[in-house]
Amino acid sequence: MGARLQRSSPMRLLFALIGLLLFLWWMIQPSSPSPRTLNINLPDNTPPTPTAALTPPKTAPGISVISMNNLTATADPLKNSERLLILTPLARFYDEYFENLLNLNYPRNLIDLGFITPKTHAGNIATLKLQDALRKVQHGPKKSRFNKITILRQDFETPTGQSEKERHAMKSQKDRRSSMARARNSLVFTTLNPTISWVLWLDSDIIESPPTLFQDLAKHNKAVIVPNCFQRYKENGVWKERPYDFNSWQDSETALNLGKTMKEDEILLEGYAEMPTYRALMAYQRDEKADKHVEMLLDGVGGTALLVKASIHRDGAMFPTFPFYHLIETEGFAKMVRRLGYQPFGLPNYLVYHYNE
Amino acid sequence: MSLPTSRHSHSQYSNGYSNGYSNGYKNGHASYYKDESWAMSPQDSKYHPKFRKSAYARRRLLLKLGLIFLAVLGFSLLVSPSLRFTVFSAVGLGYTLYKDIPGVEYHDLSLYKGSATGWQKGERILFLSPLRDAEAHLPMFFSHLRNLTYPHHLIDLAFLVSDSKDNTMTRLTELLKRQQSDPDHNQWFGEITVIEKDFGAAIGQDFSNRHGFAAQGPRRKLMARARNWLLNATLKPHHSWVYWRDADVETAPTSILEDLMRHNKDVIVPNVWRPLPDWLGNEQPYDLNSWQESETGLELAAKLGEDDVIVEGYAEYATWRPHLAYLRDPRGDPDVEMELDGVGGVSILAKASVFRAGAHFPAFSFEKHAETEGFGKMCRRMKFTVIGLPHYTIWHLYEPSSDDLKHMKEMEEQRLAHEKEEKEKAEQKTRLEEGWDIKKDKDTWDKDQKEIINAALKAKEAEKGAMPSKGAGKDSGKTPDQDLRGSREGPIAHVDEPGVGVLTTEEQEKQGQVVGHENGRVKQNKLPVEPTTQEPQFI
Repeated sequence: MGARLQRSSPMRLLFALIGLLLFLWWMIQPSSPSPRTLNINLPDNTPPTPTAALTPPKTAPGISVISMNNLTATADPLKNSERLLILTPLARFYDEYFENLLNLNYPRNLIDLGFITPKTHAGNIATLKLQDALRKVQHGPKKSRFNKITILRQDFETPTGQSEKERHAMKSQKDRRSSMARARNSLVFTTLNPTISWVLWLDSDIIESPPTLFQDLAKHNKAVIVPNCFQRYKENGVWKERPYDFNSWQDSETALNLGKTMKEDEILLEGYAEMPTYRALMAYQRDEKADKHVEMLLDGVGGTALLVKASIHRDGAMFPTFPFYHLIETEGFAKMVRRLGYQPFGLPNYLVYHYNE
Repeated sequence: MSLPTSRHSHSQYSNGYSNGYSNGYKNGHASYYKDESWAMSPQDSKYHPKFRKSAYARRRLLLKLGLIFLAVLGFSLLVSPSLRFTVFSAVGLGYTLYKDIPGVEYHDLSLYKGSATGWQKGERILFLSPLRDAEAHLPMFFSHLRNLTYPHHLIDLAFLVSDSKDNTMTRLTELLKRQQSDPDHNQWFGEITVIEKDFGAAIGQDFSNRHGFAAQGPRRKLMARARNWLLNATLKPHHSWVYWRDADVETAPTSILEDLMRHNKDVIVPNVWRPLPDWLGNEQPYDLNSWQESETGLELAAKLGEDDVIVEGYAEYATWRPHLAYLRDPRGDPDVEMELDGVGGVSILAKASVFRAGAHFPAFSFEKHAETEGFGKMCRRMKFTVIGLPHYTIWHLYEPSSDDLKHMKEMEEQRLAHEKEEKEKAEQKTRLEEGWDIKKDKDTWDKDQKEIINAALKAKEAEKGAMPSKGAGKDSGKTPDQDLRGSREGPIAHVDEPGVGVLTTEEQEKQGQVVGHENGRVKQNKLPVEPTTQEPQFI
């Protein structure tokens, strides 16, 4: 018996092994050119622990009474122990991003984190990388743990891929940014608990900022304030920096008139030669020698780094997923903030840095 | 040969078998092959050993393969996070993501999209009520809460108490505590949050202040802020539905949550009417904020300034929009749906995903609307379905407006005046009746009657005095007899009986007269004698 089996088994084993490896390779392979979503769909099919959810609890849940009358958002947040919520739509996980986040020196017990990942392969990978990163922090000493962390997975599909080229194709901008806006809204409106004073939006590709980013921005005591976002790059072996985020601007007559001629569901975009708006872009207003804390009024803001008083979001300021005065996402947000009677500000000389792909 | 008991004997069998088989086949003995193939039927004992042997071999092989697979899988799980995600999710460990990390929550929002039968799937509802000076309505509101048929533990309650001058806060917490300590566990609600936040509202909350035209714009913007604050502070990722309900709803179906949810729409509102006192027509459409956009409405909106707010139901803005409220047919099918552009806030059921996507109650003029109407408009902009049920009605509490109050005061005065009048009339009547003392009168009449009868008898006797007859009693009795005919005492047969023929006054009283008085009016008793001048008295 043994002889026969042994004769055939190495071959069979080899085939099986090859098949297995092919299967695994197919599963592990990074996202192909056309973004492939992992068809997990588990959530849609199985409700969360149905039996547990359907039976009443053994003890009555308590009643929490929260007064929001004394909630402040002041120029000196630390003095008033004001709570900060840092929100990040997490399309990719960069170690540099997380390192930079850990470098922020505001006490972590006053910081809540919120992440939302797209329903894509890349999003799933980001989720797990984030999990590994958070495990280290949250299992560390109590003092260095964040107060609370919420990770969400989107309940809607992301329209196009996230590669730099696709992302900036003008045609896909509207869909992409609409989806991005929806992700941002989903994130802020489910994590903004009643004790939060400030919301800091920090994109997952912001890899460098001063450790005092929050305190520096809060010091201006503005409803909405945004630093200038630059990118470092290497040219002929020398590190240089260039403006990256063009969504922070002051409106121009040209842009306003352009808007008037547009249909209701069309949007104005910044940074495209096809659509010259002649807006005063904050990205180009930087003066290296001037004071870092020079302010400028803004009509549109970018979302790479953005500090908002929580009360502004609570009043209803959200990121429009539809053309709102021909603006969408963070730019529409700035418009909505102004419609609610507040004014966004920018700091042209205060820099944060974007990842270079 | 002994029965094969060991593996060894099995393999011997199988070897012999397979050798024989292959030999036969190779030699080309067709008949032998045929026989063999017949012999391969499951009944043949020769077949089994081969089968068992190969099963054993295969088991070992599978075991090896399995081990290799597990090893490779384990290794690749370590290496590749995406595979880990796939595998964990596929085997249902998706929920254990981040479970081991303190202070971390992971939610897949796809789980909380909301479905038509949420109560069977454990879908949580966030039940929101903005309260302001609502102390008086709270007991009624809680009775509605208690009666809800949606599983209570799936309902998270959240209240916003703002700018209240009465004891809304203390009364609310008191009622909530009582509710959560109910002996019936099924009465317990899920998480309960009470938010206290004053917006410094300058506008009063009484009906006419609230509904006056000029106050509408700022008031609606303020209400919108309050609603947004409440929503943002309490909406959690695990909510599938959000239900807005005013505290001053008087009557609503207990199954309203299921009834609305069953339609599986993004935003859905019932019709809201209110009962009225009968002098105002018993009932009236209440919530005029649920409507479909009209051409006139759009034209009007285009003319207005950026910050103007159109408010429905005021003559100042005639929009000619079809209102949900006016389309109600009391006998209509309650499941009939109607698309809306603006919604009222008395009772809104919306999927949580609508609010997650960013829809809210604009505290600014959004397409010339604010608060719930603006919410409806915004939802339409965001391509959500906004539906109203014209024949499914809930009833808002009737609070009289100042005009109504004035009218009611007048009515009250009228009523009082009327009552006074009535009372006076009644008094007059009783006075009259008392003044017309029947008993006293009766005595007088009886006395008079007696006298008259006596007088009559005397007169008769005097008349016939010359010719006394033995049947005088009979003769004289004839007339009374005839008079008795038809009376209740009536039967004429009694005539000859002793003591009947001649009516004594006592008998008369007992019989005829008394009967006559029973009806309060003397009907008969035509006296046997003239004069009859007494009669008019009785008529």
